[in-house]
Amino acid sequence: MKRFFAVVLALVFATGLALGQDKIKITFWHAMGGWRVPFIERMVQDFNLTHPWIEVTVEYKGSYTDTLNAALAAARAGAAPHVFHSFEVGTQLLVDSGIIVPLEDLIDKFNLVVPWEDYIDPVLNYYRIGGRLYCMPWNSSNPIVYYNKTMMDTAGVEVPRKPTYSDIYEISKKIVDAGVAEYGITWPVHSWFFEQWMAEQGADLVNNNNGRTDYATEINLLEPAAIRIVEWWKKLYDEGLWVSPGRSWSQARQIFISGQSAMLISSTSDVTAMENAAVEQGFELGTAFLPIPDGTERHGVIIGGGALWVTGDHPDEELQAAAEFVVWMTQVAQTIRWHQGTGYFPIRKTALKALEMEGWFERFPNYRTAFDQLVETKLITATQGALMGTFVEARSTILDAVEAVLAGEKGIEEALKEAKALIDQSLQDYKELMGG
Amino acid sequence: MRSKFPNKPLPYILLFPTLALCAIFLYYPVIQTFRLSTYRAILMGLHRKYIGFENYIRLFTSREYIHSLTITFIFAVGVVVLGLSISLAIALLANHKIRGARFYRLLLIWPYALSPAVAGSIWLFLLNPTAGVVNYFMKALFGISPDWLTSGQLALLAVTVAAMWKNLGYNIVFFLAGLQNLPGEILEAAKVDGAGPWTTFWRVTFPLLSPTTFFLLIMNLIYAFFGGFGLIMVMTEGGPNKATNLLIFNLYQDAFRFHKWGLAAAQSVILFIMVVALTLIQFRTTGRRVHYGGQ
Repeated sequence: MKRFFAVVLALVFATGLALGQDKIKITFWHAMGGWRVPFIERMVQDFNLTHPWIEVTVEYKGSYTDTLNAALAAARAGAAPHVFHSFEVGTQLLVDSGIIVPLEDLIDKFNLVVPWEDYIDPVLNYYRIGGRLYCMPWNSSNPIVYYNKTMMDTAGVEVPRKPTYSDIYEISKKIVDAGVAEYGITWPVHSWFFEQWMAEQGADLVNNNNGRTDYATEINLLEPAAIRIVEWWKKLYDEGLWVSPGRSWSQARQIFISGQSAMLISSTSDVTAMENAAVEQGFELGTAFLPIPDGTERHGVIIGGGALWVTGDHPDEELQAAAEFVVWMTQVAQTIRWHQGTGYFPIRKTALKALEMEGWFERFPNYRTAFDQLVETKLITATQGALMGTFVEARSTILDAVEAVLAGEKGIEEALKEAKALIDQSLQDYKELMGG
Repeated sequence: MRSKFPNKPLPYILLFPTLALCAIFLYYPVIQTFRLSTYRAILMGLHRKYIGFENYIRLFTSREYIHSLTITFIFAVGVVVLGLSISLAIALLANHKIRGARFYRLLLIWPYALSPAVAGSIWLFLLNPTAGVVNYFMKALFGISPDWLTSGQLALLAVTVAAMWKNLGYNIVFFLAGLQNLPGEILEAAKVDGAGPWTTFWRVTFPLLSPTTFFLLIMNLIYAFFGGFGLIMVMTEGGPNKATNLLIFNLYQDAFRFHKWGLAAAQSVILFIMVVALTLIQFRTTGRRVHYGGQ
């Protein structure tokens, strides 16, 4: 009997020990729906397998806004996810939220080895604030032109690799006049394109060096650069060359795939989906750089997409695990896998070389366009991207203005002036609230 | 008839759970909302500054908010008036004793069982400018294909009709129940006295139905103010250019997308006061004419 008790005791003790040496558990929330959910789950599984002392639990939390709100609410309740995924326009808000710790601080603290020189600079640049990297860029993309090459051949036109506004206008006109397609071009009514076109012209979206030296207080909507964009957009629309898919990205893709329009401007993360659709619909797909206004210099694009943030309110060992996880997600092997699976950029130079050697770009030359456009981007504050605490609201206000102009309810300058007044007010309120 | 409790504390003990729940989940949040509405706050109130009534002043001097208010009234009138008239008409038809009546009634109630997200998606498909069924017929019959959701006025019309349609089932159920509970002898008496169907409806049925109508009036009004959110979210997101930006959607945007918590709290207080006021007015005016039967 005594022996039996001893065995039981030993067992209990052993289990206790095992529990005590339990894995470091961290949670990861992301905002990528659809088929990307299982894809990300598999990546996390692989991380868990190769890091037996860490266990990452992954959860899809809905849209970027939903994920951001959930993380903020959880942080207030003291249960923030260790790592979460947010969009680029939430950057300033997160920096000010006080719930996150800058990634670079963690990497220094835990002496993690990260070969920064191997990361593509424009991508990191968006998230460098005051010289420190706040989070890890993860799903990065920029806008390019997709075109139906079969239709172009029928109409006898060619899309230049680096088109201008008037190139797009002329091509659309020829396409429509020749009756090849109902419309020349389409893109979702989204402020992202407007922001990109500002950057391409080397114009900051907001003052104080695009909000990077101090809180922004004014938006540059009355600059000639801004007006040029809306003028061109309106002209295309009025002449029936651009068709509105509303604010919907999928609607825009649908219009292009179904052959109602010969061109589409959309995210580079659509390359895979577009390639597949082109094969299914039996047309040849071409891609080109984002068009820019005539007579302006090409400055490049802002890196869009999302990044991984680490929240601060956790014990050190969990923070270290979180940092390790985030860095692992951008390992060369992982970025290649991520790129081939989703179309988002591999943000490592080595990954790029490996893909080249593998002949990836020869098989899928359309990925090349996206890359070259990114790599050729000049490092200035305009292409670094604007920082605004009220970015989401500003986007919505800009779109309201564009919609009013397109519908003919307001003149271009009138609409932009009104939008500027609203956005400036919000920016100044925000600055005041942050004690700036 | 009043029943008596054996001792004084007992009723309070019995009421306590309800009151406690109300206090925690209703009164406390309401008070917090009032408080928050006097602050400028972001990040769920992580940063805040007391500004008194400035949020309210800003709202009522903002063109956007007044616009949203106007739109909401148009929407509410559309949903309530059209919705109640059409559902009463349908309920009258469905009340006839014909073969398969139960089956028809079931079909009529169906839309109510759909979630706003599903209903919104169905309308999106129907109204799709190029591939939708509505424009297929529009083109075949009149040779036009309107941009239902990208033109401001049409978009408002579209969401009003969708919201009205979504609530038809609910209204029809109550009207049908009301119609079937009408005292048969009065209707018969009207018939014997030689009243035609038109007179019978306006002189007998409609007044007798007034408690149901009155109840539905209030429920539909609340629905129009608060329930339009799901459809707007799916169908238009308040666009184009804020043409369908109902108060409730504006509030959601300001709170959950733009992180303006104080401003959103002020809007929710305004909405709350408006619905309370409208309900009170209805009780004072329409409520008096309601005939509840009996003596």
